[in-house]
Amino acid sequence: MKNILYKIAILLTVSVLTFSCSEEFLETYPTDGVSSAAVTQTTDNAWAALNGIHRALYVRYEGTQGNGGLGSHYIVVDCMAEDHVVNNEQWYNQVYKWNAHRNATYYYNRFPWRMFYQWISNANTLINGVDEAAGPDDDKAVIKGQALIYRAFSHYEIVQLYAERYRPGGGNTQPGIPYMMENTPEGQPRVSVEDVYTNIHADLDAAIILLDGMPRNNKSHMNVDVARGLKARVLLTQGNYSGAAQWARDARNLAEGSYSLMDSATYYNGFRVNSESEGEYIWASQIINTEQNDKWAAYGAYISRNFSSSAIRGNPRSINSELYNLLSPTDVRTLNYSVDGEHDMLPSDVSLLSSHSRHPYTNQKFISVSSSDSRVDVPHMRLSELYLIEAEAEARLGNDGPAAAALLPMAQARDAQYTLSSNTGQALIDEIMVQRRVELWGEGFRWYDLKRLNEDLVRAGNHDPALADNVMFVAAGGVEWVWLIPQAELDANDAIEQNPLN
Amino acid sequence: MFLFKKLIALFALYVFFGAQLHAQTIDVAGTVTSSEDGVAMPGVSVVAQGTTIGVITNFEGKYSLTVPAGVTKLIFSFVGMKTQEVDIENRTSIDVVLETDVLGLDEVIVTAYGTSKKGAFTGSAEQINSDDFDLRPISNITTAMEGKAAGVFVTAPDGQPGSSQSIRVRGFGSYSASSSPLYVVDGVPFSGTLNTINPADIESMTVLKDASSTALYGNKAANGVVLITTKKGRAGAGRLTVDVSAGITSRAQQEYDRIDAFEYYPIMWEAYRNSLAIPGIDDPADVTAANQQASNNIAGYLGYNPFNVADDQIVLNDGSMNPSAQFKGAYGEDRDWLGGITQQGQRQNYNVNYSGATDKVDYFISVGHLNEKGWIIESDFKRYTGRANVNIQATDWFKTGISIGATQSHGNMAQTGGSSSYVNPIRFTRQMGPIYPIHQLDPATGEYVLDDNGDKQYDIYDNRTSNSSTGRHVIAEIKWDDDIEERTQLMAKTYAEITFLKDFKFTTNLSFDQHFYYNSYYNNKFVGDGAPGGRAYRTSTRRNSANFNQLLNYVKSFGNHNLNILAGHESYSLRFNSLSGGKSEIIADGNTELGNFVTTLDLDSYEDNYTTEGYFARIDYNFNNRFFVTGSYRRDGSSKFFVDNRWGDFYSVGAAWRLEQESFIQGASWIDLLKLRGSYGQVGNDAGIDFYAYQALYGLGWNNQTASGIYQDKLMAAALLWESNNSFDIAVEFGFLNRIFGTLEFYHRISDNLLFEVPLPLSGGIDNQNQNIGTMYNQGIELSISVDIIKTSDFEWNLNANFSTLKNEFTKLPQEEIIDGSKKLMVGHSRYDYWLKEWMGVNPDDGSPLYRADVYSDTDTDILIQGSDTLTTDQNNARYGYFDSAIPGLYGAFTNSFSYKGFSLNFMFTYQVGGKVIDYNYQSIMSSGDYGASKGTDILNRWQAPGDVTDIPRMDVTNTTNSEATSTRWLTDASFINLRQLTFSYTFSQKVTGSWSKGLRIYVSGENLFLKSARKGMNVQQNFSGTTSNVYTPSRIFTIGANVTL
Repeated sequence: MKNILYKIAILLTVSVLTFSCSEEFLETYPTDGVSSAAVTQTTDNAWAALNGIHRALYVRYEGTQGNGGLGSHYIVVDCMAEDHVVNNEQWYNQVYKWNAHRNATYYYNRFPWRMFYQWISNANTLINGVDEAAGPDDDKAVIKGQALIYRAFSHYEIVQLYAERYRPGGGNTQPGIPYMMENTPEGQPRVSVEDVYTNIHADLDAAIILLDGMPRNNKSHMNVDVARGLKARVLLTQGNYSGAAQWARDARNLAEGSYSLMDSATYYNGFRVNSESEGEYIWASQIINTEQNDKWAAYGAYISRNFSSSAIRGNPRSINSELYNLLSPTDVRTLNYSVDGEHDMLPSDVSLLSSHSRHPYTNQKFISVSSSDSRVDVPHMRLSELYLIEAEAEARLGNDGPAAAALLPMAQARDAQYTLSSNTGQALIDEIMVQRRVELWGEGFRWYDLKRLNEDLVRAGNHDPALADNVMFVAAGGVEWVWLIPQAELDANDAIEQNPLN
Repeated sequence: MFLFKKLIALFALYVFFGAQLHAQTIDVAGTVTSSEDGVAMPGVSVVAQGTTIGVITNFEGKYSLTVPAGVTKLIFSFVGMKTQEVDIENRTSIDVVLETDVLGLDEVIVTAYGTSKKGAFTGSAEQINSDDFDLRPISNITTAMEGKAAGVFVTAPDGQPGSSQSIRVRGFGSYSASSSPLYVVDGVPFSGTLNTINPADIESMTVLKDASSTALYGNKAANGVVLITTKKGRAGAGRLTVDVSAGITSRAQQEYDRIDAFEYYPIMWEAYRNSLAIPGIDDPADVTAANQQASNNIAGYLGYNPFNVADDQIVLNDGSMNPSAQFKGAYGEDRDWLGGITQQGQRQNYNVNYSGATDKVDYFISVGHLNEKGWIIESDFKRYTGRANVNIQATDWFKTGISIGATQSHGNMAQTGGSSSYVNPIRFTRQMGPIYPIHQLDPATGEYVLDDNGDKQYDIYDNRTSNSSTGRHVIAEIKWDDDIEERTQLMAKTYAEITFLKDFKFTTNLSFDQHFYYNSYYNNKFVGDGAPGGRAYRTSTRRNSANFNQLLNYVKSFGNHNLNILAGHESYSLRFNSLSGGKSEIIADGNTELGNFVTTLDLDSYEDNYTTEGYFARIDYNFNNRFFVTGSYRRDGSSKFFVDNRWGDFYSVGAAWRLEQESFIQGASWIDLLKLRGSYGQVGNDAGIDFYAYQALYGLGWNNQTASGIYQDKLMAAALLWESNNSFDIAVEFGFLNRIFGTLEFYHRISDNLLFEVPLPLSGGIDNQNQNIGTMYNQGIELSISVDIIKTSDFEWNLNANFSTLKNEFTKLPQEEIIDGSKKLMVGHSRYDYWLKEWMGVNPDDGSPLYRADVYSDTDTDILIQGSDTLTTDQNNARYGYFDSAIPGLYGAFTNSFSYKGFSLNFMFTYQVGGKVIDYNYQSIMSSGDYGASKGTDILNRWQAPGDVTDIPRMDVTNTTNSEATSTRWLTDASFINLRQLTFSYTFSQKVTGSWSKGLRIYVSGENLFLKSARKGMNVQQNFSGTTSNVYTPSRIFTIGANVTL
C-alpha cells in the first residue's frame, strides 16, 4: 500500500518538475500601446500617428503645468519680450526674468527643444515610411505633406531660440541646430543657421507640392495655405522682405475666399474655441472636448482672463501700457484690455469671480469656455498675420504705397475709423509694428520679432522691476538672446557644442 | 533548459526505482524536560536524523516515534534551547534534558524556500522576531526593521498614518531599476501594499543580505530579500491572546524657526528698499527717497496690514517697526496656520488571536483593528485585518494547510501627496508669511467678517501674494476636499506536502493575492483647483498575482556527512488593471460621485501583465556540524525581456567553519562560538523597470478631436537583460564569556549590467532607452554586537549595537557624466555625490551673494577677485563642483534592554555620522525677497551695511535668483541621533494573575521621542538622496496597552 503511495507521489513529483509553462507564458503586451513597427504599415495607422502630433501640440511636457505644448511656448516667447506684462510672482516668472533660457538644466530651457524634436521624430517616421504603407496615395501625400510642415516649423521655432539670429543678407555660418531628417539615437552636430533655413524651405516646398489642392479634415490639420504662410513667416525672419511679401500675398490670394478677417463684434467677443467657424484662423489647435484638455496646462489656463486657476486669479496677463496707449480709442482691440483691471466691458456671457485679482491693462482677448473650463483654441496662424507680413516687408523694402495698402484691410477691420496710412519710411514701419504687436499679442511673436530685427528689449510702463528681477533693458545682440542648449542634450550628444556663456 | 528538466526527472526516477524499501523500524518514546527548572517541555521537535520523519512533544513533554531502520540518532530541538543529538543505541525509551541556548545557534531562521539553523547557515541574514516589535505602536512592518539589522538603511517614517518606510539593504544596488528589497510573505513574493499587513500577525522578518541566502530568488533578489513569516499555532491547548493599546500622536520634529510679524514687516521693507537703493553704496539722497518709498508702499506689496497703524506708518522711514504698532482686532490670534492644520492625533489598536496545536493540527486565527489619526487634520488610517493559518498533518506522509489573510483599510490623505502642490499643508504653512489671517478680517478694524449665520469665514480670496499661496486656503481645502484611499487585500495560500521514501519531501505551494485600491478624490467648488465648479476623480485598480511552486527536498545523513538537496520550479504572474475617471461641475451639493457632475475630464482604463518562471536547486552539505557548504542555482525568465535574453542564470556558493567545535579551540572555554563564513554569488534584478521594457511602442490615447492618435513612446531594447548583482561576503561570528556575541562582516557587491534609462540626445526625439550599461559597487563593514552587561537572576541589562559603513561608487557609466538633480554620476563617484554651484559667502561690501566663477572675462561686471579666488555675483556663472555626499560615513542603532523581575525597559537610538543633506525646505524660507513668503530666523543675520561679515546676503527683492540659487550654501551636516523608540512593560507573575490568565502584561511605548540634528525642522532621513521637501513630518506616538493571554 505504502509503495503504491510512494510511486504515485514520485510520479507526481516528476511530472510537476518536468512540467513548465510554455514560452508564451512569458510573452506579455501592453494594452495602452502599439508596436512601433505597425505605424507605417497602413495609411490608417499613419493617420493615427499624424493625429498624435496634432494632439501633442496641446499636451503637457516636462511634467509641469507651465509647459503645456505650443500654447505655453507662445506664452514663453511672448513674456520674454516687452508687450506682455506679468502682475505677480507666478508661473513663467523665471522666463520673464530672463533666467530660464540661460539655465541649461531648467525645464523651461529644455521644454521647447525637447518638445519640437519629439514632433520632428514623429514626423520623420511618417516622412520616411508612409510611402511604403498600404493605402490610398492621396492619404500618403496629405500625411507626408503635413509631417513635412511639422518638421520645418519645429526646426524653425527652435533655431530662433538656440542659435544666433539669422542675419539678413547671408553669411549665416554661425552654429544652428541639428536638422534631423532621419531618426537616430546617435547625437548629431549643429549645422549652420543658413543650412537650417535651407532645409526648412526645402521641407516647406515639398509640402506645398504634396498638399496643393488637397482638402483637410479641420483646422487642426495643415493644408497648403499653412505651408505658404509659413514660407512668408520664415522669409520675414530671414529679412528676405521681397520673398516674404510675395509669399504672404500669394498665400492670401491663392486661398481667395477661404479665409476672412474677423469683424469687430467677433474680435471684441474674444479668442475662444471658435477657430473652425471663424474665417480668420488658418491653422489652430482645437480642443473640442474637456477630456483632451489638460485643464491646468492649457494655453487658456494662463492667457485667458476668466478661467479660475491660481495662475490667472493671481496673475492675469496685461498688455504693456505704453503699447496700449498707442492704440486709437476707436480700435476694437482697446476693448480687449481693461485699463483699470475691472473689466467692465466683458462680453455679456463672461464674468469674473471675486477671487480674480484685478490689475491694470489685463487682457480679455482670450476667453476660456468658463471659469472651470480652460479651453481656448491655440492660434497658430491667422489671416491678419499675412497682411502684417506683407505690409512690414513692403515697408522695409521702401515700398510705402504697397505697404500701406497691405495694412489697410487688417487695420480697418479692427478700427472702422482707420484710413489708409499716409506715413512713410520709418514712421510707416513703426505704425505697422505697433499694429503687429497689438494684433499678435499673446500669440508668441514679439520676442522673435525683437531678435530678428536685432532690437533692444525695453520694458517700461506697467512692468514692475521687482517682478522682472530688474531686467528692464537688454541690449540687442548679446549672448542673452541665445538660449543655452539644454544640458540633457549636451550630456548625451558628443557632437554638439554649447552656446557661449558670456 | 531542457537538459536541466531531464536531469531532475532522471534523478527522481533513480531514487524511485533504485531505492530499497525495507521496513525495519524501531519505536522510541520518552520525555523532554528543561534543565532550568526540570519542567516538561511541550512542543519540542524530535526528528530521526537524516530524515524528515519527526514528531512534536505533547503537553506533558512526551513523544513517541517510529524510527526507520538505519537511523542512528534522534535530534531534539526547541527555540531558545540547544539542540541535542542522541544516539538511539537500540533503546526504546529516551528521555532528554534540554539546555538553554544563549547563543541562539540552534534557533531556526527562515531562509529561501526553507529554514536553517542559525549556526549552520552559511549566508548573511538577520531575523527580527515579534518580541522586538509586538509592543510598539507601529502600523507598518517596515518600521520594525529600522535599526534592527546592520547594513539596513531606512528613510524616516512618514507621518501619514499607515505609510511605509523605504529600505535599502547594503547600499544602493540599482539606478533606473528599483533598489528596494524583495518582500516575501510566507514564501510568496509580495506584490501588495505593505500597510495591508498587520504587524501583530507577523512572527518574524528575516533580512537576507548576501547572495548565498538570496540566490534562490534569482531575478528578484539583487537588492536583498525580506522574508515575512506569519504566526502559527504553537503546541498546547488553545490560547486566546488579547492586546489592546491606545495613545496619542503628535508632531515629532518641530517646524523651522521663522520670524514673527513684527520682524517680518521691517525685513520685507528692507528687501524692497534695497531694490531701490542700498545704504552705504548708493547716493544718500536716493537712499532717503527709497526709504520713504518703501515705507509708503510696503503694505501694498504684502497685501495685508495686521497692525493698528496706517499702511505707510508700519515701518518707519529708518526701517524700524513703528513702536506703537499693535495687532488690530483678531490679527493677534488668527495667524496660526500651522495650528490650523494640526490636531491631537490618536491611535487605537486591538488585536485578538486564538492559537494552539495538537500533534495533528496547528492553528492561528486573528482579527485586528487599527484606528490612527495623524497630527494633521483629516489624515487618518483605519485598518481591519483577519488571518487564519491552519496546518494539518493528515497522515504520517501527507501534510497540508491553508493560510488566508484579509485586510481592509481606509485612509484619509490630507493632501500631503505632492511636495510642491499648492495645498500641501506642510508647504503651505511653512511658507506662509506671518501677517496673513486664516479668516476674513475687516481690513480697517481687523475684526472677523461674519457670514449670515454669524460664523467666521475662511479668507479664500486672492489678496495675499502668490508667495503666500494667493487664492488658496489649506485649511478650507483640506476640510472641504476628499482624498481617500481604500484598500482591500486578500491573500490565500495552500500547500500539499508529501513525505516519502523516508528521505524525500515534495511540497507544492499555490497562492493568490488580490489587491484592490480605490481612491475617491474631490475638490470643492469654493476654493482651489476645483473652484468654481467642483471636480471629482475616482481611481480603481486591481492587482492579481498568482504564484505556483513545486519543491522536492532530499535529506540524508551518512555518518558525519549530512546532505540536504532542494530542487524546485516556480511560476509567477501578475495582472494589473486600472480604471479611472474624473468629472467637473457638481450638480447637487454633498454628493461627490461622478454621476453628480456634468463634464468628463478624464476616463481611462488599462491592463498590464507580468510573468516570471524559474527552476532552481540547492545543495547543503555539512560535515559533523563543523564544516558547512552550500551551493545554489536558479534559472529564471521574465516577460520584461526579449525572448533571446529572457532567461538568466543565477548561482551562489557559501561555506562556514565552526572553529569552536575544533579540538584546538575547545580548550579555550571562554570561546563559545567562533564561526567563519563566506559566500559569493550572482543574483538578478528586473524590478522597477517598465513591464514591457524591451518593446518599441507608440502610446495610445493621443486622440485629436474625434480622430484616434498614437505617439512615439519608446525604442526597441532587444538586447536588454538582467541587471546582475555579484556579491562577496565574509564574516566572523563570535561569542565570548557567555556574554558577548556578535558578527563582524565585510561585503563587496558589484552591480553589473546596470539597467539604465540611458539618456539619448533629446534631438533624437526620445529621451532615453533602456540599456544595460553601467557598473557600481557597494562595499561596507557591518558590526553587530550584543553584550549582556549585567546578568543576574533578577536583573539583566543587555546592550545591542550595530555599526555599518557604506561606500558606493560607479566604475562604469553609459555616458561620461549624468546630472541628476543636485547629484552628478561619474565614474569614481557615488550615486549620491552632490554636484552643486560653489557658494563662497557674502561680499561684505554690498551684501551680494558670491559663487566661485565659472567663466571669467575682464569686461564682466559680475566678477570679483578675492585673493586667489575668482568670484561671481551671478549664479548663472557659478562654477559647479563635487561637494560631499548624501551617504553617511557610519550609521546604525543601539538598543538597551533592562529587565528586573517583571519589569522590562528597552529603548533604541538610531544614529548617523557624516553625510550631508541639501535642505531645500530651509532654502525656501531664506529668500532675500519673495513678498509674502515666510522667513527663517537666520534671515535676521543678513548683511545690512558695508562691512557686515555674514553668510546671509542682503535682502533685495530684485536679486532673489542670485541669492537663493541652489548651491553648497544649503548643504547641512546630516549627522543625527534619534531616540527612535522606547518600550516599558510589566509582566504580572502567575501568582498575581492566578488561574484566570496565562499571562498579563501592561506596557507603555513611544516612537520618535527625541531627535538631535544640525537644524531644527530638518527631516534628515527624509530620503536616501539627502534632499528635503514638504513631506508629512514624522509623528511622535505614545501608547499604553495591555496584553492578556487566556
